[in-house]
Amino acid sequence: MRVNVLGVSTTEFGELWEKSPRALARQAIQGALNDATISSNQIDALFVGNMLSGILGNQANLGSFFAEELGVPVPSYRLEAACASGGVALNAAINSILAGQYETVLVLGIEKMTDSSQDDVTSGLMAAGSDEERMAGVTFPGIYALMAQAYIDEFAVSEETLATISVKNHYHGSLNDKAQFRKTITVEDVMESGKIADPLKLLDCSPISDGASAVIISAKKKGKKPVYITASEVASDTLSLHDRSSFTSISSVVRASKKAYKKAGIKPEEIDIAEIHDCFSIAEAIAVEDLGFSKKGQGAKDIAEGKMTLGKGKVITNPSGGLKACGHPVGATGIKQIVEITQQLRGETDSRQVKNAKIGLTHNVGGSGAIAAIHILRN
Amino acid sequence: MLTTPVKLWRRQKKVATHIGRVGKILNWTIIRVPPKAFHHEAPYPVVIVEYENRERTIGQLVDFEEGDLKKGKRIVAILRRNFSGDSESVIAYHIKFKPYEKI
Repeated sequence: MRVNVLGVSTTEFGELWEKSPRALARQAIQGALNDATISSNQIDALFVGNMLSGILGNQANLGSFFAEELGVPVPSYRLEAACASGGVALNAAINSILAGQYETVLVLGIEKMTDSSQDDVTSGLMAAGSDEERMAGVTFPGIYALMAQAYIDEFAVSEETLATISVKNHYHGSLNDKAQFRKTITVEDVMESGKIADPLKLLDCSPISDGASAVIISAKKKGKKPVYITASEVASDTLSLHDRSSFTSISSVVRASKKAYKKAGIKPEEIDIAEIHDCFSIAEAIAVEDLGFSKKGQGAKDIAEGKMTLGKGKVITNPSGGLKACGHPVGATGIKQIVEITQQLRGETDSRQVKNAKIGLTHNVGGSGAIAAIHILRN
Repeated sequence: MLTTPVKLWRRQKKVATHIGRVGKILNWTIIRVPPKAFHHEAPYPVVIVEYENRERTIGQLVDFEEGDLKKGKRIVAILRRNFSGDSESVIAYHIKFKPYEKI
């Protein structure tokens, strides 16, 4: 398959108290249209990825809501897949093009989280889990902490080694002017930050963020530095972590990525750059193994050795800073990943540019792995 | 936030089937930043449990001592008060676990 990326744009991520969801959407949509050098009346449909608007903002009907900001009354759809809402919206948009229904579509990922209290956001996010998990009083950091505990025991990995994942992502984020956190941190900073759910500490966790990102994809080719999507796959798994055979591998990621590699006709070792869903440090350790970049049990150790760090590694993970440093407005994340990979493949990312990047991958996960969306892009 | 009287009523039939079942801890964490309904309980351990028939679930460990929070520890499911919204709302009871020898 070959779907062209015509335009990309993202807002800054962070605590954007001055900006409403409409303002964020307008900025991302206009940015993508400008980047594609097309006008809104050339868009055939709008796909929106968002998780929490109905729960936190009491605003549903998001297809129409954001079509107003696009300014044309096109067919519009809102897709929800927890933190993979963006990736799943893109997958649906791609399928609509492959089906021949639309030629050019805009995909908007958006989340407004900092209007709400931390309590409301925490319980809103737990809507992505199961009833059993909610009744147990476990949080998302708690569920990933259970994975981290299993990983540390199974592979004799230290908490300090896991902490290097946040250190790497903050280094990359320090080079990204759209990132929520643009400062470097040390392993000691991570180790000394407050415990959230043992063994995870505050600096193992991605933040609560606002932001919007948009991509315009098309069956038509356009632009001087073309980037196209060669695979788009989604797989799902049980909602509850405890119902899975392994706590140190996410089978939805394994299945979706295997299919994606096959569709794109490539092997994992051919990937130059990847945006990884590092909602927690442990998530990136497990992801790089599930995606085939590292051997089982070696992911965190490989990252600690610099094998995925800008300027040192062979495959660079989270050049944007990832969810940890760039921020995690949940519905926007999957689209921001596409924006970053596209800009990298075009050579537009200045000081965080990965040299000679030709093939990129995005890994977007919802819940504790209940759904995964994998995309492969190339220039 | 978490529930309504009718949801509790529907759930309780299933909850009752867990009471007294014995199993072991597969994995554990300690929740230090809890959801709102559990603020008064934190910090508290949450464990993934495997019953003797291999069925699994997740819940809080209570009545434990240091050293009980480890993989392989035998536990039994008991019924405990879980939370309530405010003084007017229904009190939710749910399964929690305690070390087996303490029964």
